[in-house]
Amino acid sequence: MSRWTISGLEADLDRFHLGPLDFDLSPGRALAVLGASGAGKTTLLRTLAGFLRPSAGEIRCDGVDVSDWPPEARRLGYVPQGLGLFPHRTVAGNVRYPIELRTRDDPTPRVTELLERFRLAPLARRYPARLSGGELQRVALARALAADPELIVWDEPWQALDVLARYELGLVLHDLREIEQIPIIVVTHDPALAFSIADSFLVLRAGQVREQGDASVLLHAPSDPFVARFVGFENVYEREVLARGAPGSLRAWLLGHAGPEGVAVATPTLRPGAFALPVWEGQVRSARPGPDGVSVEVVADALLVSLRLPPPVTSPLPVLGARIPFAIDPATVRPLGAPSPPGAAR
Amino acid sequence: MSGGAAAPPARPGPRRPLRTGPIWLALQLVLAGSLILLFLIPIVTLFTYAPLSGLLAAADNAAVRATIWLTLFASGITVLAAVLFGVPLGYLLARRRFKGRAVVESFVALPVVVPHLLVGLGLFLALVIPGSPLYRLTQALGLPVYDTIWGVVLVMVFVSAPYTVLASELSFQAVDERVIEAARSLGAGGATAFLTVTFPLALRGIVAGLLLSWARAVSEIGGLLILAYAVYPGGPYNGPVTSTVSVYIYNLFQIGDLADAASVSSLFLLIAFVLFLAVRLGERTGWVPWRRGELAP
Repeated sequence: MSRWTISGLEADLDRFHLGPLDFDLSPGRALAVLGASGAGKTTLLRTLAGFLRPSAGEIRCDGVDVSDWPPEARRLGYVPQGLGLFPHRTVAGNVRYPIELRTRDDPTPRVTELLERFRLAPLARRYPARLSGGELQRVALARALAADPELIVWDEPWQALDVLARYELGLVLHDLREIEQIPIIVVTHDPALAFSIADSFLVLRAGQVREQGDASVLLHAPSDPFVARFVGFENVYEREVLARGAPGSLRAWLLGHAGPEGVAVATPTLRPGAFALPVWEGQVRSARPGPDGVSVEVVADALLVSLRLPPPVTSPLPVLGARIPFAIDPATVRPLGAPSPPGAAR
Repeated sequence: MSGGAAAPPARPGPRRPLRTGPIWLALQLVLAGSLILLFLIPIVTLFTYAPLSGLLAAADNAAVRATIWLTLFASGITVLAAVLFGVPLGYLLARRRFKGRAVVESFVALPVVVPHLLVGLGLFLALVIPGSPLYRLTQALGLPVYDTIWGVVLVMVFVSAPYTVLASELSFQAVDERVIEAARSLGAGGATAFLTVTFPLALRGIVAGLLLSWARAVSEIGGLLILAYAVYPGGPYNGPVTSTVSVYIYNLFQIGDLADAASVSSLFLLIAFVLFLAVRLGERTGWVPWRRGELAP
């Protein structure tokens, strides 16, 4: 499998400017591209796939500059948003398509093999309109592999899938990466799956790189509220919201810990009696028991705060409307938009 | 004092719903049905006016067969021309961004909105008056248009091709760009992606446009009254002197032969109906390729 090196890549689409971006992807590695809508994720993928000409920089595959190669020459398994399946071809016809284009040999054995591998054999003669979300994703993947890609580029692979189908797809992508050593680039909004597949992350905002590196970088120094929420912080407050707090209030205290973009707080755990810290009081809005304790949402200083009561879950649960005290350990607070800690992996 | 709090205002309980369903349905049926009725009046009248024997006699009449053959032949060439020139124009309008696109689109719609006598007059002045450069061109090419099949085809293409262009444009626009990009990425060059993905996906809409074009072509009369009232043998047409069905029926009406006019009309209606029905049935059974993918496995 090939090694991909992207250096100084820039692209322009109407008034949107992407880049410069630098990253490389070795065989068997997976990169997740994150970012809010309009951050430039799809623009990046379309540039890699050859549908947008870079305005600067290079895309190299095993050292060869492919930046101005047409899409059909790049050997990418590009799966666009919505999967891009051919509605007028059956499942088998979809998988057969790239093989027919490349070889005059009988494509049937390879098609059969891929259909078996992705458990699509019973659906071979169906048209995409008659398939479920999970089945469609498997067809897209089988078709992408039929082209013997050097890189899989997948835009939002987990859109509209049920839990089981997402899990299955995660396993398949994992296999492709681990066993077949195919490098993968995915765009996703789903943190759980991004973390389960990708070993590096690229966070985009307005076409610029906000953060780049492995998961620890994202967790230690989230660059903005989007990244903080993405990596799992439940309490994320933007700076201007906190700036309206009175002296001595919860908002003012959080503002004291905030970075230029705001602050993220890991879910504070309620530990009655252990309050050496400033104690705040919140009014219970909801209490939801689960395997890792009781998730409690309170309103304090007109901010919504998510708290957790550690297990075991004991009754009675906090009563809606009751006022309960809580404290926030400063060690769980992350300033947003602060410079990355030294030594963080790129 | 008991409690002292004022009683809360009485809330209205559930209300018996007004049963508007049947009235609503009846309204829809009456409104939609009226239009269907209007469509049916002339057709049913024509068939009742022309007895079956009249229909068979018309079918057996060499003059009637000639006019029907000429109309089908000329409209067939028209449809081919619409495919050859109209589909590429539709594709261009759907997929390319260029300056003056709105102007081109307006020109495409023009033949639909101008009175067709005007079209005939314009073509007559341009192509039939000796001395005009286009007249000399048609003579040099051996394609005279006045009272020839080429004149018929020219008028038919002019008035009917816009339907193919507009339908193609909409159909090409409706093809998801991402599906085409997937094909490109899987190894298809631009032309291959067009032939294997874009065109098959747009085909159904294009065919619908072609059917409209054909229907518009065979029903044309205004332009033909000026440019090709009669059609003399020449070019690909080597039958007797005749005219298109619409002009033929108009002539019968003009001389007061209502029975024959109705018979020829009914015969032609029947032919057109069978053609449309064949296409629709073909679609439903999956025999024609452009609807595959929407059918049950």
